[in-house]
Amino acid sequence: MRSSADPVRALLRRHRLLCQRAVDPLEIAAALEADGLTDRAAARFRHRDVFSLAEELYARAPRVEFESEAELGGRGRAEPGWARVPQLLPPLLPGALCAVAVAAWEPGAGALRGTVAAACAALAVATAGLVLALGRLSTRRAAALGGAGLAACAPVGFALWGEALLGAMLPGADADAGTEAGGGAEPDAVVALGLALAVAPAAWCGRWFAARARRRLAASRGLREFAAGARRLLAAALARYAAGLAAALLLARLLAPTGSVTLAATAALGLLLFAAALLAAHGRTRAAATGLAAAGAAEFLTLATASAAWLPGCAALGRPVTALAGEHGPAAVPLLACGLAALGLLGHAARVLARASAHGPEQPDQRDRPDQPPRPGAGSAHRPGAL
Amino acid sequence: MRVALLTEGGYPYAHGQSAAWCDRLLRGLAGHEFEVCALSRGRQQAAGPRLAPPPNLVRLRTAPLWGPPPALRGRGGGRAGRGGRCTGRLGRRIAECFGELAGSLCGGRAQADRFATGLYGLAELAARHGGAGLSGWLRGEQAVRVLEAACRAPGAPRVVHAARVPDLLAVADRLERALRPLSLDDWYGWGRDGEGDGDDDRDGGDGLARAALCHAVGGGLAALPGLLARRFFGTPLLVTEYGVGLREHYLRHLAPVPGEPEAAPHGGEYEGAHALAPTVAGAPVRALLAAFQVRLAREAYARAALITPGNAQARSWQERCGAERARLRTVYPGMDAGPYRAVAEQGRDAGPRMVWVGRIEPARDLTGLLLAHRTVRNAEPTARLLIVGTGRPDARYLARCRALAARLFPEGVAVTFTEVGTDEAPTLADAYAAGSVAVLSSVVEGFPVPLVEAMFCARATVSTDVGAVCEVIGGTGLVVPPRDPRALAGACLALLRDPARRARLGAAARARALELFTVERNVAAFGGIYLELCLERGPSPAERSADEGVPFARPAEARLRPGPPAPSTPSWARPAGAEPIAGRPEAERPEAQRPEAVRPGSERPGPPATAEAMSAPPETPAPPDVPETTGAPVPPAAVGAAGRRERP
Repeated sequence: MRSSADPVRALLRRHRLLCQRAVDPLEIAAALEADGLTDRAAARFRHRDVFSLAEELYARAPRVEFESEAELGGRGRAEPGWARVPQLLPPLLPGALCAVAVAAWEPGAGALRGTVAAACAALAVATAGLVLALGRLSTRRAAALGGAGLAACAPVGFALWGEALLGAMLPGADADAGTEAGGGAEPDAVVALGLALAVAPAAWCGRWFAARARRRLAASRGLREFAAGARRLLAAALARYAAGLAAALLLARLLAPTGSVTLAATAALGLLLFAAALLAAHGRTRAAATGLAAAGAAEFLTLATASAAWLPGCAALGRPVTALAGEHGPAAVPLLACGLAALGLLGHAARVLARASAHGPEQPDQRDRPDQPPRPGAGSAHRPGAL
Repeated sequence: MRVALLTEGGYPYAHGQSAAWCDRLLRGLAGHEFEVCALSRGRQQAAGPRLAPPPNLVRLRTAPLWGPPPALRGRGGGRAGRGGRCTGRLGRRIAECFGELAGSLCGGRAQADRFATGLYGLAELAARHGGAGLSGWLRGEQAVRVLEAACRAPGAPRVVHAARVPDLLAVADRLERALRPLSLDDWYGWGRDGEGDGDDDRDGGDGLARAALCHAVGGGLAALPGLLARRFFGTPLLVTEYGVGLREHYLRHLAPVPGEPEAAPHGGEYEGAHALAPTVAGAPVRALLAAFQVRLAREAYARAALITPGNAQARSWQERCGAERARLRTVYPGMDAGPYRAVAEQGRDAGPRMVWVGRIEPARDLTGLLLAHRTVRNAEPTARLLIVGTGRPDARYLARCRALAARLFPEGVAVTFTEVGTDEAPTLADAYAAGSVAVLSSVVEGFPVPLVEAMFCARATVSTDVGAVCEVIGGTGLVVPPRDPRALAGACLALLRDPARRARLGAAARARALELFTVERNVAAFGGIYLELCLERGPSPAERSADEGVPFARPAEARLRPGPPAPSTPSWARPAGAEPIAGRPEAERPEAQRPEAVRPGSERPGPPATAEAMSAPPETPAPPDVPETTGAPVPPAAVGAAGRRERP
């Protein structure tokens, strides 16, 4: 065995990759031992033990570029465009269902059309929730998402019914008109259709943002660099969504002429919902729920003050609402509430979604994934260390 | 006395590392109270079956090293808790300590003090302000930022410097899991006013604060609670390692070799089995995680009162990681010798037949054995070889070996392949009885279980020089170099032709195995070590004030629980029909026989009968080639595994 002048060289050649990629001499020592090399065998290489042999191997092996190794795991190949088409379709469902519902609805028509319209509307709401919430999340977080979904009911409900209700409740309004508006319970079809159509751009932009952010994460070298890139991405996603939302609202407006303030209020609500969905998709359900609930609370507070103003001696309570609504119409209330909440949530998102930890390679639902099924032999007695 | 047994992915879970050994230890040391603190490694393990608790197990605590942190449970759980919940002063102090810890991982050598500063600093903060704050902070962005700063610091190694954001995230995630034992408030029983400051106040709470001794099974994360207990309560720490955790960590994370299907040769065995998950990670992640494991192991070895490796290889790793020789004491795994007694006592020689027992896989080098057998047959035409498989064989390798055997021995009778449980070998003992020479041909081996079994059966053995074979066999068998069929054949022939030598070697092997590798010996060794560590520590302040001025008022044995009394009447004097006392249920035992003196509070120092057995002096003279010896019980099935490193 002592024939060669440099016995270690042969060993180095045999374990070339191991030695190149090792981060520590102990790693080489562990692998050599696992290969059956003992201290007595190390003596053949003129070393006292496996550890000193491993140190020599570690010192002599050429180091590979660590950069290239980062690519080793590699990101999966991009899916071809046609493969993504099925994923793109579901977000269109709520808009289509809502359009059917609006078409089927006609006051005073038969019970069948009413039923169809109601069913379609309910389905539209359900699919919208599913599309927005489950785009990237598992059912594991359904409870947390349920809270945000409930919180979303308040501003959406106000957008559909609240305007007419508020108009009827404003001090000085015609009492008969009030009962008619409140009791009729007919939602604003344009608003409903606009929101339902806006689900599609929201889902697409949310997914686009998540995918781009993950890709950028994999490529970035520093947290600050990533944060700057993520903010730009968020702005881009927001711009895309805003364009989509505008298109959806204009499309819905073809149905019936609608005031520009109402449209603006709907747009603000759309932005708020988008911000909340983005935050929820990245694990910030609590913030999303808070923003939605705040907008809803503000709106219902105006309703409460407006109705309280009818009480004798409390007319002062209704004055701010009357001033606001009198100037710009009742839609100014949701515009203000949703707009402020959306701004708050978007500001929060710009801070939170720029963090790398919000885009971690392991999403919370993958973190505690169940273990893989046991491999053959894994449970047998002859496991390393199964002593 | 109360012993806290700390395990990681082990004891109460039936499919855990060292679980059978721990179970036997607990049942064997009935005089001690045990408190088990177990970290589980995965959902599957945590939900899986558990071993039945023995009566002396007073408390069992478990915590997951997977999923959301237990400290944050019930607070929205998931990532909602992420992100700087503890801002302000606490956040800054956590950041400082974590910065020290991260800096020690990214620095070169001689960073042990920084690691310790960071680790204990974090533990102190968790103790004072509750573990939830620390857990939440570690999951937040701040931890990633601190880690990044440490990686980019001047002087950091190049590999760490190259870390990208995903690497940082992965490391932060793994570190959060690894540091979970710090934030398990209920494990330690922190006093009402935060941590004890290193004094001996063990009566202040429960949890580890009340334990007289922490026994960590493994030097990795399992030792972390023990380190904290040592730091804050002065509890001595005993570390037992049969397979070195650090080495297993390296093998789990072996660098991926592209184009080689067995890139992660140990992945199959370990997948989903560890807190520091076995995903294929880039070099920076591997470097940082390995640095954490090394620093943790070094800290554990440096602070442990005693370290008990299971064999010389584990010992060399521990010495390499800074364990002092004076505090190392090898305690061999023990096995049940009972099933093999009959074979050994029959003493029948099976003629020129060799037997090989083990799991059929490439690491056992059966092809080399078959080639050697061909040489043996050429010289000794009546020689036969029996190959007995245990466990699940590697089917492809088995087929290859069968084909080779058919080619080498066309006559067919020379080699028999069988399995335990078939007619040819109903039990393992029968398998050994069928041969007069036991052969071990492995090229890779940890603690060689089949060798010990053969020694129990008083068989002469021929084995290859791998793993712990030399220290197990001593001078009682022949050892040849691995991967050398000719040498193997020569040694086998020498024994096959010399029945007297066979018998001599076999008898010596059995004597050696009974001396070193029995369950009883292992349990007794740990019983002795417990008492020894307890003595070294001395009485707690409360006890000291009670026994003021009375030297030796409280021997270590006084802390034992009263155990079953030894029979005080000889068997011939017992009334006819009385059962032997050992067979009676606990309740029927005469109360009067229980020695009063063993009650912990009592003043009388008389050691109980059981304490004698338990403190059996471990310094029985051992064969000269092994300095300190004791044995650890191992399920016959599981031992093999002790430190086995296999590359399928």
